[in-house]
Formats: sequence, structure tokens, C-alpha cells
Amino acid sequence: MRSRPVLVGAALGAALLLSIVVAVTIGPANITFGEVWGSIGSHLGLGNSPLPVLRDGIVWELRLPRVLTAAAVGAGLAIAGAVMQAITRNPLADPYLLGLSSGASLGAVSVVLLGASVVLPLAAFLGAMVALLLTLLLASSLGAITPTRTVLAGLAVSSLASAITSLIIFWTATGDSYREILGWLLGSLAGARWPAVAIAVVALVVAGIPIMLTGRVLDAFAFGDVSAAALGINVPATRWGLLAATALLTGAMVSVSGSIGFVGLILPHGVRLLVGPAHRALLPLSALVGAIFLLWADTAARSLFDPRELPVGIVTAIIGAPLFAFLLGRRRSAT
Amino acid sequence: MSLDASRIRITAGQKLIIDGVDCSVPAGSVSALVGPNGAGKSTLLRTLAAVHRPDAGTVSFDGADLFATPRRERARIVAFVEQDTSTDTAMSVRAVVGLGRLPHEGVWSGGSTAAVDAALETTGTAAFADREFATLSGGERQRVLLARALAQEPSLLLLDEPTNHLDIGAQLTALTLLRTLSAGGMTVLAALHDLGLAATYAEHVIVLSAGKVVAAGPTAQTLTPELLRAVYGVQATVLVNPVTGGRVLAFSPLD
Repeated sequence: MRSRPVLVGAALGAALLLSIVVAVTIGPANITFGEVWGSIGSHLGLGNSPLPVLRDGIVWELRLPRVLTAAAVGAGLAIAGAVMQAITRNPLADPYLLGLSSGASLGAVSVVLLGASVVLPLAAFLGAMVALLLTLLLASSLGAITPTRTVLAGLAVSSLASAITSLIIFWTATGDSYREILGWLLGSLAGARWPAVAIAVVALVVAGIPIMLTGRVLDAFAFGDVSAAALGINVPATRWGLLAATALLTGAMVSVSGSIGFVGLILPHGVRLLVGPAHRALLPLSALVGAIFLLWADTAARSLFDPRELPVGIVTAIIGAPLFAFLLGRRRSAT
Repeated sequence: MSLDASRIRITAGQKLIIDGVDCSVPAGSVSALVGPNGAGKSTLLRTLAAVHRPDAGTVSFDGADLFATPRRERARIVAFVEQDTSTDTAMSVRAVVGLGRLPHEGVWSGGSTAAVDAALETTGTAAFADREFATLSGGERQRVLLARALAQEPSLLLLDEPTNHLDIGAQLTALTLLRTLSAGGMTVLAALHDLGLAATYAEHVIVLSAGKVVAAGPTAQTLTPELLRAVYGVQATVLVNPVTGGRVLAFSPLD
């Protein structure tokens, strides 16, 4: 019983490593597998790069940071979704559907225009937190907080935040504002360089790891607040602490990738089918699956329609939206 | 180790639900909390379990103020079985019972499986320990939630309508089990709407009506025809069960 999650985890960890190794060699520049890893090796202090400077830059400055950012963002969004589903007892909860991603985009865009991009993740976190509070406030003003009401409230908040984001970019943009708006609203990793890797990985360590340690506590939330309190859990502190951590994680990820949908919603459900609902296994495994999924979704987004590039959010939505519809259908038959 | 509550007052919004209640549950006994629908039984029980802080008043067990006791420590002393717990978790029965070990676990150390096995055994749920909780019948779920409470290894056990969803055989089994637990030293308080079961199985009763304790004490002396007439508006007659020799209540409408 106990060894199954460990086995699955080991397999997924190996798959993630393999995915990174392969994905950096895929791209329009026709660089061979050996050349790619020769180049990466040279930057890690192993020999000389087999590539001329320009092509070496494609590998080290563009592809590798982009692949690593995709993996970290996917992991972060999947953890955020799994936690929100547990803590709100809502199988439809996810940072994108509840408006956190749009709120984070708005926060990020606001400070980009002020030129203060060092505080970008922080502003995105504040945007995510405000959006989450608005969503929960709106949902509770409609009566008892149900999953469907929460999603509808999230839709309202997210539409407003997206509209304001677009407005700000239109008002102030100097370059291609359409492309920039698409990047924030649909999510794109096209701009991911090493600073993006740093932001996403630091967020995973600072917010993701503490969240993963609360796995057992999240299990207790399955039976409601009274049950959790009777088992010795400080329910309000745990709930708000975890929601804040989720907003931090989402904010950091959105600040480097824009709002990518459905990763947080779909993948935890898939992992539950694989290893069951215990969060001690669910959280780390969701992170691994999220990393692999977004890495390949982004690889598809940048290479399928070469030389054009899709915002990665289109790929995740094409895969995720039908699964979301399926989840809705299953809920109806359950109630 | 008795449970003592004094001057409990609970409001919900502007509405006063519990109005200055004093009550105590003698150590190692099974006591029943009875009263008409809407009397405030569930509300009072949540406060006695130290899950819901009252607007005023104190709850103490074995002399220690429960609301001043650290949460995890408190959850090793008091266990609470709710009425009608809804969940859509896919957890197995064993995992659900394992949640009862949470107050005993550290961040890294796993729970003791011995206490979980014992709780499954005691409640007769071991046979379906590997089934998914959501697939069980109402009565089976009730027993699993009792097993979860027992896995906490509590000294005080509070239950809200533990016989709901149970057929008559299972009701008697459940209440007999509560008697066995109390004989082992556990202090048990159950909210029961079935006065017949309360009269047969509880040694003490607390009668709640409109947010106030109107009577409390040993069952036979407390659940009198006069009191039941005043509280429930029914005619009660005390009979003797020809098989067990115990008290039985028969009810008829007032004329």
C-alpha cells in the first residue's frame, strides 16, 4: 500500500528528468542532441561548447531556462490547485478558475508599467490574494459557499481583472500590445530567461515545500471544519495560512508566465485516480505531473506551428477544458 | 474525570441559542442529552467538545479548562462524533479511522497502526477496512466515524445523534458499545432524540429545552411523566420491560 506512491514518485521523477533532457533538444534551430548537451555541459564547467556563440545562446539563454521555468510553473500550479481543492472542499477549485491568476496578472502588469519589476512577484501575490478574497466574499454573499457558486464568483472577478489588465496595457503600451495582452491572459513562457527560473524555483521552495508538509492536515479537511477542529487543527489559521501560501505560489508563477489555466484543476484529479486521495502523496506527485505536463505543453506550443508560436495557455485549455466539462458532469451525477 | 460546564451562553447572530447552561457529566458514565428539536442540543455539544467557543461560560474536564488546553493535547482528551458528516473523499475506511491518530502524530512520524486496528475491531468495521468510505451505507459510516473518534484514544467521548441512520439492531449494538466504553472508564455524552433509548441506556440525562437545562440527573428520577408532559407536550407512561426488567416509556398524545 505504502510503496505504491513511492514507486509512482520515482517513475515520475525519472520521467521529468528525461523530459528535460529531451525537450531542450527540440526546437527550430536544428541543433543536434549532442551539441545541445555539449553546450549545457560547457556552461556547467565541462569542456568547451561545440556551438558558435549565437547558437550556443539559443540553448543556454533561451531553451534551457524556458524548459526549467515551464517545469517549475507546472509544479507550482498543480500544488496550488490540489491545496485549494482540499481546503475549500471544492473539486472545481483552481487558481485560474477562482480568479487568482487574473488577479496576479493585474498586479504584475500594474508594476511592470511603473518599471518596478523587482517587486513583480510580490505585486502578483497581492493581486492574487485580493482576487481570492473578492471571489470568496462574492461567493458567500450568494448564500452558502458551494463549488458552483465559487466558480461563478471566480469568473466574475477574473473577467474584471482581465479587462483592467488589458485596459492598462492598451493605455500605456509602447510596442505590440496585442501580443503582450495575449501573453498575460493566455499565458506564455516565451519570455522566460534565468531570472524567471530563479523566481519560480524560489517560490516552489519557499511556499511549495511548507505546503507539502501539511499533507496530513489537509486530509482532515475532507470531513469539514468541525471534524478538523475536533482532531486538534486550528482551522481558521490553517485555512488562511494555506490560502496565502497558494496565492504566493500562484503570484510568483503568474509573474513569469501569465495566467495559464487548467493545470491546477485537472492534474490533481488525475493523480488521485493513480494513488488515492492522501495528500502526503498527492501533493508531491501532483507537482511532478504538473511539471512534466506544462513542460511538454510548452514544447508543443513553441514547436508545433513553427515558425509561429502559440501562447501555452491555448494548449493547456484545449486539453483541460474538455476534462473540466467531464468533471462538471461527474459532479452532477454525484449529487 | 467528569465534564463540567458552567454558565454557557451561545448566540448565533442576534439569536440566543444557549442561555446560561450549567451541566455536568459524571466520570465514567453514559449520559444522554435530550430535548425537542431546536432545543440547541447540537450547538451545546459542539461547545462541550471545545470545537465552538461560547460567548460566555467555561467547559472543563477533569478540572482543566478545555478552551485553555492546547488544541492537539485537547484532541487527545476529547473526541467528537458529528451528525451527518458529508464528504466526497475517496479515502478508504482505514485511512478515515487513521485521521483519529492526527493529534498523536508529528510532522515526520507516521501514526500508530495498533490504535487504528483496535478501533476498527471494537466498532466491528474491520471487515470493510479496505473499502472506500463513500461507498458505505449510512449506518456503516456512523460506525467508521465512531472508530475514528476511538482512534484518538480519548477520555471523553461526545456524540451527536449516534443512532441516526441505524436500524434497531444496530442502534442497540451502538448503545451497548457506549456502555462498554464507559465501563472501561471513558466519560460518554450522546445527544439522543429517541427518549426510549435514552431511558434504557443512559445512566444520567440532561434535558434541554429552548436553550436552557430544565432538568438533569439520574435517568429514572429525571425522565418523569410530569417533565415529559411539560417539555414535549405528550402523555408518558412508565412500563417495565418483561424481558430485561428495565424501564420502558410509552407515549400517547395529550387529550
